[in-house]
Amino acid sequence: MNAQILDRNDQDPMTTAPVIELDHVFKRYRSGGGVRDISLSIVKGEVFGFLGPNGAGKTTIIRLLLDLIRPNSGVIRLFGLDSRADSVAIRRRIGYIPGDLGLYERLTPREILSHFAYLRGGIPWSAITPLIDELSLEIDKPVRTLSKGNRQKVGLVAAFMGDPELLLLDEPTSGLDPLVQQQIHEQVRRAALEGRTVFLSSHILSEVGEMAERVGLIRDGQLIAVERVVDLAQRSAHLIDISFASPPDPNFFSSLPGLRKSNVIGNQFHAEVTGDLNPVIALLSNVQITDLSIREPGLEEMFLTFYEQSHE
Amino acid sequence: MREIRRSLLGWLAGIVGFSLMMLSIYPTIHGNAGFSKLLDAYPEALRKLFDLSDYTTGAGYLRTEVFSFMAPLLLAIFAILWGSDLTAGEEERRTIDALLATPVSRRRVVMEKWLALTLATLLLSLALEVLLGVFGPLFKLHVGWAPLSAVIAGSAFFALAFGTLSMAIGAGTGSRGMARGVAAALAVTMYLVSTLAQLVGWLKPWRWTSLWYHALGTDPLSNGFQAGHLAVLAFSIAALVLAAVMLFERRDFSN
Repeated sequence: MNAQILDRNDQDPMTTAPVIELDHVFKRYRSGGGVRDISLSIVKGEVFGFLGPNGAGKTTIIRLLLDLIRPNSGVIRLFGLDSRADSVAIRRRIGYIPGDLGLYERLTPREILSHFAYLRGGIPWSAITPLIDELSLEIDKPVRTLSKGNRQKVGLVAAFMGDPELLLLDEPTSGLDPLVQQQIHEQVRRAALEGRTVFLSSHILSEVGEMAERVGLIRDGQLIAVERVVDLAQRSAHLIDISFASPPDPNFFSSLPGLRKSNVIGNQFHAEVTGDLNPVIALLSNVQITDLSIREPGLEEMFLTFYEQSHE
Repeated sequence: MREIRRSLLGWLAGIVGFSLMMLSIYPTIHGNAGFSKLLDAYPEALRKLFDLSDYTTGAGYLRTEVFSFMAPLLLAIFAILWGSDLTAGEEERRTIDALLATPVSRRRVVMEKWLALTLATLLLSLALEVLLGVFGPLFKLHVGWAPLSAVIAGSAFFALAFGTLSMAIGAGTGSRGMARGVAAALAVTMYLVSTLAQLVGWLKPWRWTSLWYHALGTDPLSNGFQAGHLAVLAFSIAALVLAAVMLFERRDFSN
């Protein structure tokens, strides 16, 4: 199955030149794994989410973009520049949170952040303090005394400082409490509003769904699908679970045009239905039920729906 | 640098303690007739191996104890540990990712780390020299500053060479253990080649391959600065720095 690449192709190409371009990129590790034939285009101002289970290749792709690892073949360009030859120029415009953040344990956040501010080209401390205050980060105690949440905040400030044009966030909220997660979402939202580009990866569906406009699903090193969240939602099925008073007729919903799947286990009836829900309600009004649940599918379910649909 | 400052201070303290301990033993050996008799009893071969030639004068004691083995070893251990920490250590602690995401070239990162290694090694060597030179006379150990400097220089170059090697291996493999293990093994091997060459005939022409020989094997304590040999060391160090830079630039930093 080919990955579908959607561009905002209704605009002048000069203003929407891709910020990230991956063209048939292959990376194979000696121990196996890696990514195969990745082609993807991210335009300026987009918030793009990379979704997939652990080990699928999300971190590999981000590290390829940063020239931390080198591809076996394929072209990688950021801001139109080559990822390896122009790596330093590219990194001047990028902020990054690694999936597995390591900090210098004996130093304080203040020391670490001022060091990074210097390395990033002399970002003034005054430009960083608003973010530090917003996140309520303690900056004068050594890192080894900080909780995981506070460490991640240090990483966050390091990534967002100087308002870089492109943000690469690898599992930015993993292991964090909801409050900090919200703060991260806020920063991403603000970056997007300011026209900056965000490229984030996660295995948490709700997070990607909440922050991203377009989502790419990656599995076993391959890009399976790339879709806009909005489009996915429209095409996906509602998940209906009904508990009947007595074992139901398995063909209960078969008259519905939008029925995609159904199965019965004992008194439980499960179905996936697209489109209008009114016929569903009509059918239910004549039967005895003890429990009913109709829910929106999660992102992965949306993807699977899309995937199956494209094979019909 | 601040992160490693504490480690540096620890090493300084260690060297001070070691030097004082060695110096304090000296007065009991100095002029001790009984001890000289004991030395004579050792077989010729063994005496040559551990350079027991002149244990009771100042230079002899220094050469034997401190410099036939311990001081260069101590400096080399420091340099090897530090070298591996600077490259592989940073990788193992996962701090390399955020660092290399900033707009610095890999080459610059390695060079700055190597500079830190060089300065630290120099500092410790200087400390050792000052300690032995200043406190030596208190313990009746009289060695001129010139010969002392010659030996310290040899030891420092030796240590820096293996520290740089450790850095290079760490840069290429990402493993502190491998960097330390290989560098240490090579250092010991070169020590053995240099000292055994005095006893083993066929080994003698191979002395020149040993960095230990170039650093200390020519007895700088008695013979002063050996410019030619130090040049060999300097050249080796330069080659190793180049290797470290190349390995670091080629590396895939995956997790």
